[in-house]
Amino acid sequence: MSQGVRPDPALRSDDVLSVSDLSTRFFTEEGQINAVESVSFDLRDNEILGIVGESGSGKSVTALSLIDLVESPGRITDGEVWYRNPDLAEEFRASDAVGVDGDHVDLRTVPPRVRRSLRGPSFSTIFQDPMSSFNPSITVGEQIAEAVEVQRRAKANPRSTRSRTQGYGLGQYLLDGIVPGRGYTSDESVDRAIELLEQVGIPDPAERVDEYPGEFSGGMLQRAMIAQALAGEPDVLIADEPTTALDVTIQAQILNLLREVQADRGMSIVLITHDLGVIAEMCDRVCVMYAGEVVERGTLDAVFDDSVHPYTEGLLGSIPDLEDPRPRLQPIEGNVPGLVDSEMDDRCYFADRCPKAMESCLEKPAERVVDAEAEHGAKCVLADRPYDPSEALPEDHFGGDAE
Amino acid sequence: MSDAEGPADAADPLLSVEGLRKYYADEQSLLDRLLGADEESVKAVDGVSFEVAEGETLGLVGESGCGKSTTGETVLRLREATDGRISFDGADLLEMTDAELTAFRRRAQIVFQDPFSSLDPRMTAGDIVTEGLRIHGIADQGERRETARDLLERVGLSADQIDRYPHEFSGGQRQRIGIARALAVDPEFIVLDEPVSALDVSVQAQILNLLDDLQDDFGLTYLFIAHNLSVVRHICDRVAVMYLGEIVETGPVDEIFADPAHPYTEALLSSVPRVTTDERDGDFETLHGDVPSPRNPPAGCHFHTRCPEARAACRESSPPAYDVGARRSATCFRADEDHSYWGSEPIEENARTAGDDD
Amino acid sequence: MVSARVIRNLKKEFRNSALAKIGLLLVVGILFTAAFAPFIAPHDPTEQQLDQSELPPLGFSETTERTTSQMVEGEIQTVTETVEITPDAAHPLGTDSLGRDMLSRIIYGARTSLVVGVLGTLLAAFVGVPVGLFAGYHRGNVDDVLMRIADVSLAFPSLVLAVALIGLWGRAAVNIPDPFVVAGLAPEMPESFVLPITVVIVVGLVNWVWFARVARGEALSLRSQEYVKASRALGADDTSIIWNHVLPNAITPIIVLATVQVAAIILLESSLSFLGFSGTTLSWGFDIAQGRDYISSGQWWIASLPGLAIMFSVIGINLLGDWLRDSLDPGIEGEGGAA
Repeated sequence: MSQGVRPDPALRSDDVLSVSDLSTRFFTEEGQINAVESVSFDLRDNEILGIVGESGSGKSVTALSLIDLVESPGRITDGEVWYRNPDLAEEFRASDAVGVDGDHVDLRTVPPRVRRSLRGPSFSTIFQDPMSSFNPSITVGEQIAEAVEVQRRAKANPRSTRSRTQGYGLGQYLLDGIVPGRGYTSDESVDRAIELLEQVGIPDPAERVDEYPGEFSGGMLQRAMIAQALAGEPDVLIADEPTTALDVTIQAQILNLLREVQADRGMSIVLITHDLGVIAEMCDRVCVMYAGEVVERGTLDAVFDDSVHPYTEGLLGSIPDLEDPRPRLQPIEGNVPGLVDSEMDDRCYFADRCPKAMESCLEKPAERVVDAEAEHGAKCVLADRPYDPSEALPEDHFGGDAE
Repeated sequence: MSDAEGPADAADPLLSVEGLRKYYADEQSLLDRLLGADEESVKAVDGVSFEVAEGETLGLVGESGCGKSTTGETVLRLREATDGRISFDGADLLEMTDAELTAFRRRAQIVFQDPFSSLDPRMTAGDIVTEGLRIHGIADQGERRETARDLLERVGLSADQIDRYPHEFSGGQRQRIGIARALAVDPEFIVLDEPVSALDVSVQAQILNLLDDLQDDFGLTYLFIAHNLSVVRHICDRVAVMYLGEIVETGPVDEIFADPAHPYTEALLSSVPRVTTDERDGDFETLHGDVPSPRNPPAGCHFHTRCPEARAACRESSPPAYDVGARRSATCFRADEDHSYWGSEPIEENARTAGDDD
Repeated sequence: MVSARVIRNLKKEFRNSALAKIGLLLVVGILFTAAFAPFIAPHDPTEQQLDQSELPPLGFSETTERTTSQMVEGEIQTVTETVEITPDAAHPLGTDSLGRDMLSRIIYGARTSLVVGVLGTLLAAFVGVPVGLFAGYHRGNVDDVLMRIADVSLAFPSLVLAVALIGLWGRAAVNIPDPFVVAGLAPEMPESFVLPITVVIVVGLVNWVWFARVARGEALSLRSQEYVKASRALGADDTSIIWNHVLPNAITPIIVLATVQVAAIILLESSLSFLGFSGTTLSWGFDIAQGRDYISSGQWWIASLPGLAIMFSVIGINLLGDWLRDSLDPGIEGEGGAA
């Protein structure tokens, strides 16, 4: 059978996606950057999973790694991405090179062309900046119709990326540059685009379909991007900071829309954001990332109300509360580390900023189960025992100059 | 500080702005002008009045494009006002001579949002911090360096970072340098233009605490511009809510957040995702639609196109600022119990969408 | 602006970059050659030896058909014979059609080309950069007017403009006595160096537009930077903002442009020399123009050796420009700052 027999915990049948020990590194001139360090999480049916972290925590690279869009000099160096897809599992069950476990397939082991063919019908992504995600010189409708068309052709001939672009060679491309008109898309796909635009709440979709991205506001464009992402009717929607660039009233509209779309289509959403408020309002389960690692995860209630990791506590203590203005915030001192491999000691990466750092933090903490029921886990010794001031690290242990 | 012999009456605001307007004419080339093309203007700030008392923090809050940053820069005369009156410590800012303006620059400063574009990449931290001292010819080189070291320490950096360049600092540290630069000329008043928006939450809290401390230590008055309501709630004493170039509501921060008088303020507050796990009651109540273009704002009340409470009367005339409590005002007919608003028809499409959101 | 730190960066970049070393080597070599031409050149570059004409460089031999006329039995007969011309060690790079030593001409030509290239570029930059910075920073009518002027001058082919200006002003050249010759240290080859002043001024005035446009573009984007606003809030006036903030941050593309311009001006000078407008007949461009006619008949070296000289100096200047650009950019040094 297959090489990838997963150790515990076993794959659950309601895991759409199960990631284990995923590592992504960037090989830059300054050295190796450990952007994602042995990250594991599961995405269940019909849920919104939040990944929260500050800039440089590796949350966006994690998203890109899921859909295999990490670009050079980055490379996924390790880990498994189990995706539930009975057809695919059947197809590769006999293959030695591909990890198959029940209905799940390890996407890291399937051929790249298969992975590529899953983008759209299986995974879709929406990004932070809708302005730069659309080509400004092609109408919004055309760009959505194109996504529809890609999916339509892919369905007609699954597992082949070639069929998607067939009939659209260089000649057609050059011709399109001279002769305006829809070379690639058909009338049906344009109709479908209008339908999608309507579903995401764009008024007068039949007219707006012919407008260019510049004529859309930021919020409308974000809606259009969601419409584009829905074109392939994906199982998993990866939303990378989908509302960060938007105003608060528009953000609320888009969050409402995401919830609606999730409920209507029964998809699962990975919601990546730095905004703990968005997480608290939207997500069922949460992963907190710091320095490329998931430092704490579990159900929303477990992580937010019974947080174990001092980083999670620190994040929650840093936010001014709208209802209850405390006189003073409790920030985390210091700055996010740079993730250069040569500068990373083999210790808890948060120890240098942690108010409860102890001597045992100089060893890399494994993930500990805090509460199995709530799937609450934390990479912190405090999950096992309370803070002991007698073991505290001296204040200048990491050098005085807190860089 | 400097007002030792001044009147220093608490009732006298340090900064007072009346009917401030800032219109931007569209970029017109020489040729357009020769051909006599019509000038079209964007009404970025359209009749704004507020006061900031000494030692207090006034928050200026609103969504992007509401004119809050333009207001902040105009009250410092970094942009020239189209119309209105700005007086600082009793002096009319718009009538100042060059010499008076130079003196004013030492009393009023600004901190910007973007920690990357706000520092000259080719200057060292020390040179950036002491730029104001150089411009005003204060102190010799040795003294300036000493001041720079003190200031860096004061804002939580280390004095031996004085010769480093901006790219060697993180975002939060750069923002600290920007604050130190503003402090160097010993100002009384600082415009903080979204000073924490670009920072990570943990760093944001550090900077907010720092600003708090500095206000106490130096007796500073702040005009705090932000779109983040939680931050405004945390740091401000009073708040003015802006929408499409106008202030729609102003008053003490606790009162406004507890009991907003303007439907826009209410919508803003209800749109903010709360960082608690207790009340997850389905959808956000928010506004439908987008902010209209300031090039061609809606007639009547600017907000009537999105307001869930809008009635026909809102389309016809724009509401004045009604007093709704001590130092509180709201520009909404709903504040006037006798207004014909109450008798007019609700604007249906708004009410319907509002209903959808429930 | 030139602090100890800048010098340190220059050194550091120099150590790390092989290209910077090559660039410096080339430029210093050419400058040295130009300055000490009388000591290096084996012959007088203007001395004609018709019996030695068209000698190929060492290592190459050339066959040519020589037609001679003879009186044979009262009739004039033309005899065509193929003769082999062998190089002469006295002329390692050969000679041109008038028998002048190519090596000496290239060594002396370096003076004209470099002086015109560098002075012309400096002049263009000194006119163009302030104009561009001023226009870009202030915008409005000043900008409109200056940039329309710039557009008009761009629309003229630079050679035509140069020829027109020279026609208007006449060509002036200054003979600068060679100090080595005056002091009696060097053999009396050409006793003075001819500086084609008109050419310098004309190429400067033709090319300032490029500097103005680049500087304007930079100023346009820099003026809205928050540090410029902060400087205004601190009370700085426009001139000091342009000097302290805009110029230092615009300098990188200007340096890059300058290295390209030196090359372009050397080429423009050669065209003018060819047309006889420059006032000097001792420049790389002049020789290229002369040699062009001989390429088809096999004397490739007359045009291509000065061409190579231009190429190497342009490469050298460009590499030097890259080095300067990298060293002046504070972001390039990776000294353990926060990522």
